[in-house]
Amino acid sequence: MKNSFDEKILEEANDWLNANQKVVLATVIQTWGSSPRKVGSRMIVNETGDFSGSVSGGCVESAVVRECIGLIKDNKPCKKIEFKVSNESAWEVGLACGGEIAVYLEQIS
Amino acid sequence: MKHSQLKEIIKKKASKIEFAIITNLENGLSEIYEPGKSLSKEFEIHKEQINNFFKLKKNGVIENTEIFIETYIRPIKVIIVGAVHIAQYLVDFAKSLNFEISIIDPRGYFASEQRFPDMKIINKWPDEAFKEIETNENSALIALTHDPKIDDPALQHALNKKFYYIGALGSKKTHENRCQRLKDAGFNSDQINSIHGPIGIKLGGRSAPEIALSVIAQLVSETYKK
Repeated sequence: MKNSFDEKILEEANDWLNANQKVVLATVIQTWGSSPRKVGSRMIVNETGDFSGSVSGGCVESAVVRECIGLIKDNKPCKKIEFKVSNESAWEVGLACGGEIAVYLEQIS
Repeated sequence: MKHSQLKEIIKKKASKIEFAIITNLENGLSEIYEPGKSLSKEFEIHKEQINNFFKLKKNGVIENTEIFIETYIRPIKVIIVGAVHIAQYLVDFAKSLNFEISIIDPRGYFASEQRFPDMKIINKWPDEAFKEIETNENSALIALTHDPKIDDPALQHALNKKFYYIGALGSKKTHENRCQRLKDAGFNSDQINSIHGPIGIKLGGRSAPEIALSVIAQLVSETYKK
């Protein structure tokens, strides 16, 4: 049952593309410590910032959406981003759970 | 990733083929890997590691490289015997899990397409129905009719094929009688004790969706114990 394709995110990405939206696919590629979602977890984002799926328990999704919109604007094919433990004294994005994750973003064209 | 590749992945998923997606994280190139098929030069040099990830059904980045592999695993076959009210909710819950459900019920008025739209329903007695489904130790059985005529042959098939999960609906008394019949049919106590009966984890609910939830919870839990 360790199947990361079971959330139908890829199917949803296809629907969005068929509706002429620009789509960036975000995939968890590495995790360290107690990260909430396993490797292979996915999320999709379109040019207006609508998103579906998840790469964490809600900790870093807003930053991922921002990065994905940036990728579309700059018309870049892909990018790798890492998120580390959040600093509780600052209002920055991070993983409150204490884990670290690497997320790979790629435009579907 | 190209849109055409995404479509191909979705197609492979739908036809239940085992494959992997290999991505070069530096330049964004990706390919679909299937055992026995050759890869492009760029990925061919990592073939051994790719094969290892694939065999272990693992996702991850190959050490000291920028190559990411994601393997697709076939869904688990779950056979429901009895196209009853509980089965309708089981089908709903299983939609968001990695289970491929078939329903067996020889009673046509239960096993109608109107009650189970888009489902594989086999309107035959279990002995005949199982000829149409390939099963093994990775299969699961949920027997819901509590009618010995229908449930028992299915349970016997599941025990013989060593299904990893076998659950049977019915009260303690019904289950005791069922165990006795299986004993009389020559099954040993280890085999009989492997049947989850009364089925499901203890939630306390008695409604059809509540029972379905308790059954699916037990099935998921046993799946992770495999």
